[in-house]
Amino acid sequence: MRTQNATAYRFLTPYLLIFVVFWIWPIISSFLISFQATRTVPWRFAPAFNWGRLIGDPAFYNALKNTLLILVIQVPVMIALAIGMAVLLNSPLLKARGLYRFAFFAPVVVGEVAYSAVFRLMFSLDFGIVNKLLNSIGLPKVDWFSNVTPAMALIMIAVTWRWAGYNAIIILAGLQSIPEDVYEAATLDRVSKVKQFFHITLPLLKPVIVFCAVLSIIGTMQLFTEPFLITERGGPGGGTETLGLLLYRQGFRSLNFGYASAVAYTMAGLAIAITLVQLWLMREPK
Amino acid sequence: MAAVTLTNVIKRFGSFEVVHGANIDIADGEFVVFVGPSGCGKSTLLRMIAGLEDISGGDIAIGGKVMNDVEAADRGIAMVFQSYALYPHMTVEQNLSFGLRMNGNPKADTDRRVKRAAEILRIDELMQRRPKQLSGGQRQRVAIGRAIVREPQVFLFDEPLSNLDAELRVQMRVEISRLHKELGVTMIYVTHDQTEAMTLADRIVVLKAGNVEQIGAPLDLYDDPANRFVAGFIGSPKMNFLSAKVVDTSNSAAIIELVNHGGARLRKPLRDAFPAIGAEIVLGVRPEHFFEVGEGDCDIPVKADVAEHLGSVSYVYANAGPEELIVEREASRQRAGGDHFTVSIKAERSLLFDKSGARIR
Amino acid sequence: MTSRSQARLGRSILLHLFLTPLALIWLFPLWMMVVFSTMPDNGIFSPGIELLPHDGFIDNFNNLQRDTNFVGAIGISVSVAVTYTVLSVLLTSMAGWALARYEFHGKGAVVAIIFGTITLPYAVVLIPQFIMVARDFALANTWIALIVPPLFNSLGVLFMRQAFSMMPAELFDAARVEGVKEWRIFLFVALPLARPMLAALAIILFLASWNNYLWPLLINSQPGAMTAPVALGTLIGLTKVSWGGIMAGAVMLTVPMLIVFVLLQRHFIAGIAAGAVK
Repeated sequence: MRTQNATAYRFLTPYLLIFVVFWIWPIISSFLISFQATRTVPWRFAPAFNWGRLIGDPAFYNALKNTLLILVIQVPVMIALAIGMAVLLNSPLLKARGLYRFAFFAPVVVGEVAYSAVFRLMFSLDFGIVNKLLNSIGLPKVDWFSNVTPAMALIMIAVTWRWAGYNAIIILAGLQSIPEDVYEAATLDRVSKVKQFFHITLPLLKPVIVFCAVLSIIGTMQLFTEPFLITERGGPGGGTETLGLLLYRQGFRSLNFGYASAVAYTMAGLAIAITLVQLWLMREPK
Repeated sequence: MAAVTLTNVIKRFGSFEVVHGANIDIADGEFVVFVGPSGCGKSTLLRMIAGLEDISGGDIAIGGKVMNDVEAADRGIAMVFQSYALYPHMTVEQNLSFGLRMNGNPKADTDRRVKRAAEILRIDELMQRRPKQLSGGQRQRVAIGRAIVREPQVFLFDEPLSNLDAELRVQMRVEISRLHKELGVTMIYVTHDQTEAMTLADRIVVLKAGNVEQIGAPLDLYDDPANRFVAGFIGSPKMNFLSAKVVDTSNSAAIIELVNHGGARLRKPLRDAFPAIGAEIVLGVRPEHFFEVGEGDCDIPVKADVAEHLGSVSYVYANAGPEELIVEREASRQRAGGDHFTVSIKAERSLLFDKSGARIR
Repeated sequence: MTSRSQARLGRSILLHLFLTPLALIWLFPLWMMVVFSTMPDNGIFSPGIELLPHDGFIDNFNNLQRDTNFVGAIGISVSVAVTYTVLSVLLTSMAGWALARYEFHGKGAVVAIIFGTITLPYAVVLIPQFIMVARDFALANTWIALIVPPLFNSLGVLFMRQAFSMMPAELFDAARVEGVKEWRIFLFVALPLARPMLAALAIILFLASWNNYLWPLLINSQPGAMTAPVALGTLIGLTKVSWGGIMAGAVMLTVPMLIVFVLLQRHFIAGIAAGAVK
């Protein structure tokens, strides 16, 4: 190839300008703001001001704990469910494949606000269809919004409903890229379908599954809309408060930019750690 | 029309040098083929002439003008690519006229040129089809047509026939030869297939690992290769190489002993150089230059391993000690595997190479 | 029947017995969204179990329009999503083209920075973006604020870079030898060939913009400047508001996307499978 600096930058610059102004610079800026006292004008450099407060802030630990709890439970359940959906949707025995695909993939296009509203209505204490159905089969009503455990469960159910199909699409694409003859060879070797799944499908899908897990972890880590809208600003009593919500509250309700930036960089730190784990998991075997 | 001159042309990718100073003179109207194994730098050289690769050192001149910093489009060349590189979303006609249209060439002139190219290549019927609807040979014609439309001074071909099946390849080879006669312009053609090189070229440039090994007319390369590599590369089946040792030199000749053939000896007259007595050398003999017993200067007994009968001739893969020889025999004298027979080598139909592969004349 | 085909039938029945209830559960929230949107508020909040649509959609819509100017908000959402999609596809495919098809100084650095920062959470840039747009540029509650900052999204660049680098290089060399200018090669050779990828990217970007909530919530919070999701979100949690109306709004936000999804499923799935969202 010929070196073509001028031509290349003519194509690249428009995007690069926006990328630098609205992504790279904010990443740096956010880091700097987290070391500044922003409650008074002019801002001043005070490294311990936000980070010191963060380390001693029970609200921060509460949000961190809730976020990690959701992460640890919701992501594995959803990924497992997505693998199941993808494998079953890929079965040659399945009839009316299009209908099933629609059922599982449709939530992908539903906006956060729309589905938050529906879930709020479906799970309401006295008139929610879920409690009505539970009642009708002889089970007690659950107070989804006033107790912490059901409220957390509700958030996880909602997120799983919204994103399982999304992950299933990615995993299904991965499945379809596994050549059929690998399975034919295994069948001739008298390997059962179940063993084929565990010894062929899963190992070959590992990169895709790790990719989905990382995407989901980073997505869930920033969870904001669901606890904001479904459980009413992280209720009951901060029981579903997440880091995303804490950031919103500090940054845009209290206009405490320095502290909110420190929270944001805590998330970034987690994301970087997760990404490093991914790179480690995906390393080439020596 | 134009001559093409390469003076000490060097190509580096980073610190890695892939072409080490090529000097090639191509006359106006000549058909020159660059041939060599993959990775020898032949395509890189062609792409440098085209202006698709930067030149790291030396000069490339077309029609007497140094083109190093001239854009590909302004070099007066046209190129036919290995994959044909037809625009899949355009019809044949649009493919042919695309370059001219994009450069604001007058429509009447574009139409005339497209029509002429279509006539030359007999693709008039295909003008409204898309590449997907064409056979391999038709696509190839369109690709050549796109080059013709440019009315270039120099045609460049980058392995244009390698995606075709054997029969079509022969047919297109003839077609390209005809085209060269008809247009009379300079053509530079890259291939790894020595048969294509032999049949098409006025002159062949043999390349190996970024070096020009030899430049010459096809039969000159065949009869008088400069070194063992060229000798082995040109000709099919390959030339046989027999290990030998110099046992005596006298009267402008060397007496050599074929070490793997029971001490058979050959007196090889030499003109320029005399290797030292005891030197290890290599004797090259083409498959068709093994003669019947007594007809040559040195007889060696061999055992037939496998025989391939092609009809007009047969190739016998024969074993003699650790060396396998390919011997061409007329079909009427077919041999079956397991036969023992004797072949004879003529001094004037064999070539001598030293240990490094250089020719000893 | 042979034992082989019997075994197959058995497995097939098992498969459907498992998958059908799961599919119904998955469809249930969407179905209930439609049902709620057709029920009066006193129907939604009644003890009976209602699983079939009524005929109150228009009433609910009128209630919604009374609570907030939803039609106006939809107008803003559509315009923003269309403009954003066109701009983003254009910018990212140009950048992807440069990265896929040219050698230039700094290429390694650009690719490294894009890849190196792609997994950083969006939350990190939220505050500086907000300060910059709202305070430094004083652009809060404008179209520019909704459209321009989200254009930083680099997934389109990586997606289109991948698409362009998979095309045979000889195609572009052929045009170059013919003297076609680089921007025309991009416009008339590369882009037409990338049509399926462009479609997938456009759909994903449109959806992302259409459903975007957090940024529009922060930057365009004034009544006349809100996008539809933000307008709808302000109603959730208020006391004197029609829930049937909210559901009508949810249906209006969702159903068009579902139709697009059904019609363009192939592109949709291709876009998501390539990781071009989030």
